[in-house]
Amino acid sequence: MEKQNKSLKKGLRFYMHLYRMILIQDLKSKMSYRADFIISTIGMILTNLSGFAAFWILFRNFPSIKGWSYHEILFLYGFSLLAITPVQCFFDNNWSIYRMVYTGDFIKYCFRPVNLFFYFISEVFDIKGVGQFIFGVGVLAYAWNKLRIPCTPIYLFVLLMSVLSASLFMISLMNLAAATGFWIMGSAYVMIFAFKFKDYARYPITIFNPVFRFIFTFIIPIAFVAYYPSLFLVRADEVPLLTYLSPILGIMFFYLSYKVWMKGAMSYSGTGS
Amino acid sequence: MESVIKIEHINKEFKILKKREGLKGSIKDLFSRDYSTLKAVNDISMEIMPGEMVGYLGPNGAGKSTTIKMMTGILKPTSGKIIVNGKVPYTNRTQNAEDIGVVFGQRTQLWWALPVIESFNILKEIYRIDKKTYQDNLEYFDALIGAGELYQKTVRQMSLGQRTLCDILASFLHNPSVVFLDEPTIGLDVSMKSKIRELIRALNKEKGTTVILTTHDMGDVDALCSRIVIIDKGKMIYDNSIEKLRSFFGDYRTVKLKFNKKEEVMQTEALEKEAEDLQSFLKSQFKGAKSLSASVDDKWISVLLKEDEVHMMKVINCIQEKKKIRDMTLEEISTESVIKKIYEGDIQ
Ligand SMILES: Nc1ncnc2c1ncn2[C@@H]1O[C@H](COP(=O)(O)OP(=O)(O)O)[C@@H](O)[C@H]1O
Ligand SMILES: [Mg+2]
Repeated sequence: MEKQNKSLKKGLRFYMHLYRMILIQDLKSKMSYRADFIISTIGMILTNLSGFAAFWILFRNFPSIKGWSYHEILFLYGFSLLAITPVQCFFDNNWSIYRMVYTGDFIKYCFRPVNLFFYFISEVFDIKGVGQFIFGVGVLAYAWNKLRIPCTPIYLFVLLMSVLSASLFMISLMNLAAATGFWIMGSAYVMIFAFKFKDYARYPITIFNPVFRFIFTFIIPIAFVAYYPSLFLVRADEVPLLTYLSPILGIMFFYLSYKVWMKGAMSYSGTGS
Repeated sequence: MESVIKIEHINKEFKILKKREGLKGSIKDLFSRDYSTLKAVNDISMEIMPGEMVGYLGPNGAGKSTTIKMMTGILKPTSGKIIVNGKVPYTNRTQNAEDIGVVFGQRTQLWWALPVIESFNILKEIYRIDKKTYQDNLEYFDALIGAGELYQKTVRQMSLGQRTLCDILASFLHNPSVVFLDEPTIGLDVSMKSKIRELIRALNKEKGTTVILTTHDMGDVDALCSRIVIIDKGKMIYDNSIEKLRSFFGDYRTVKLKFNKKEEVMQTEALEKEAEDLQSFLKSQFKGAKSLSASVDDKWISVLLKEDEVHMMKVINCIQEKKKIRDMTLEEISTESVIKKIYEGDIQ
C-alpha cells in the first residue's frame, strides 16, 4: 500500500502545497526577526527612492523623449519594478549557485525525491523585494492616473497578465545567468552583468539605436520586461504583434531557461569532499 | 536473500583541466583544452545484504565519497554496473531517492532558518510519510537520544554535532531501506562521536536499515561495523569482517613518546634521525620482534609493536633506561598504519 502510494507521480498540486508550506514556515521565521524585516524593507524603499530621484532629475527637463511623455516613461518605470519583483522574491537562491558549486555544497540538494530546480529555488524567499513592490505600485498608480487609463477590472486583469509575462523574462534571464555557474567557476560576474540589464528594461525600446533594439528584443529580451507587455495599457491603439506574443514567448523562454539550468545541474558533480 | 546493493567492476574517471600558466596560458586554454584523467574509483565490486552495516574506510582522497555519489545516483560510473534496491541509481535519480537516506558530514540538508521540527514536517510531505509512521519515528528518536529537546531549535543555533544528529535522524525519517553516511563524525569531539555512533547503531539494529558508512576514523568502524571495506587510491584493498582485521591488529599497540628535548622546535630531519636511532636500538634489544618500528608522527616519536612478539611494558622500560621520557600516550592503530600493513601483505 505504502509502496504503491510512493510510485504516484508528484503533480502540480503536490508542488503547490509544498511550496506554500515552505514559504509559510520561512515567513514565520523571518517575522520572528521583525527588526530585520522592517529594516530591509525600508532599505529597499530608500534604494528605490534614490534610483527614482536620479530618474526624475533626468526626465524633468525633457517633457518628452522620442515621442514618449514623462508620464508614459514613468509608467514603464513602475511597471518594470513590478516585473522584477518575482525574480527578487522567489528566485533569489540563484545568486548562491556559483558559491555552492565552488564549495561543493550544491550536492546536498541532489538527494531529494523532488524536482531539483523546484527544491533549490524554494529554499529562499527574499523579503527585500517587497519594499520594491510597494514602491512600484505607487509609481504605477500615479502614472496610471495621470495617463487617464481607465481603472476597470478588465484593465487590471490585463495589467496582472502583462506583469506576469514580463516577470517571466527577467526570471528566465537570471536562470540562464545562474546556470552558467554550473560550468564556469566564479560566475557571479555573469549574474551581476545580467541583473544590470534590468536598468535598461524600463525604457521604451524605441529610444535605442536599431542594433540595440534588435539585441534587447531577440538576444537578451529585456524589451519584454516592461516595454512590450505594457503597450497594452499605455498605447492601446498601436499594439504590435510582439506584445500579443509576450505571454507565450515568456513561457517558452522560461521553459528554455529551466532546461538549461537542469542540464547544468546534472552535468555538475560535487567537488571532492 | 536478495542483496540491497550490488556493484560490479565500477570505475569512475574525472577529467581534469590542466591549467596553463600566466595570461598567455589562460588564453591558450580558451582555445585548446588539455585534460588529464584521474581514476577516482578503480574496479570496485561488492554486494551488500539487507540490514548490514558496512564501514567504508580509506584515507582522504581514496574515492569513498565518489563511490557513495555513484550509489546515490548523482554520479554516473564511467563503466561498471550498480544496482541499488533493484534499480540503477542514476537512470531515475528522483524516484530512487524515495527509498534512500543520505548524510554528507558537515553539509546539513535541513532548512537553516527553521526549527528542526518544521524541517521534519516538510520532509514528511516530500517523502509522503504517513502520519503514524511519522509520529512513531519522532517519539522513537526522542526516546533514543532525547531528540525532543532539539526539535524546537533552529538549525543555525545548533552546534555541528547537534546538526549532524538531526541530519542523521532526518535521513531515517521516511524509513528508507538504505542510508548512506559520508563521514558523519568528522570534526566532532570524542563525546559527540560516541553519541552519534550509539545513534547509528541503534537505528541500524531497531529498523534493520542497511547502513553504509564512510570514515577515515578507525574508531567509527571499531564501534559500529561488522564488515569493513577498505579502499586506497580508488582500489579496493580489503573486504572482510572486522574480527579478522582485529585478530591481526588487536595485538598492535602504538606508543607515542616525547623525550627530554624540545621536540616542538626540532627539525623534521633531526626527529627522523632520532626515530631511526631508536628503532635500531629497539631492534637490537628485541631480536624476535619483527613488527617493532619507530617513526615520526607530528612532533611525536611513535613506536608500533605487536604484543604477542614483545610486551609493551618491556619496550617502555627498555626505552626509559636509555632516555628520560617526558610525555607518553597510547593509541589505537591508525587507519594509515592498517592500510600500510595490508599493503605490506601482513593480512589478506
Ligand atoms: N568532481 C570531481 N572532479 C575532479 N576530481 C574529483 C571530483 N570529485 C572527486 N575528485 C577526486 O577524486 C578523488 C577521490 O575523491 P573522494 O571520493 O572525494 O575521496 P574521499 O571521499 O575518499 O576522501 C580525489 O583525488 C578527488 O580530488
Ligand atoms: Mg569524502
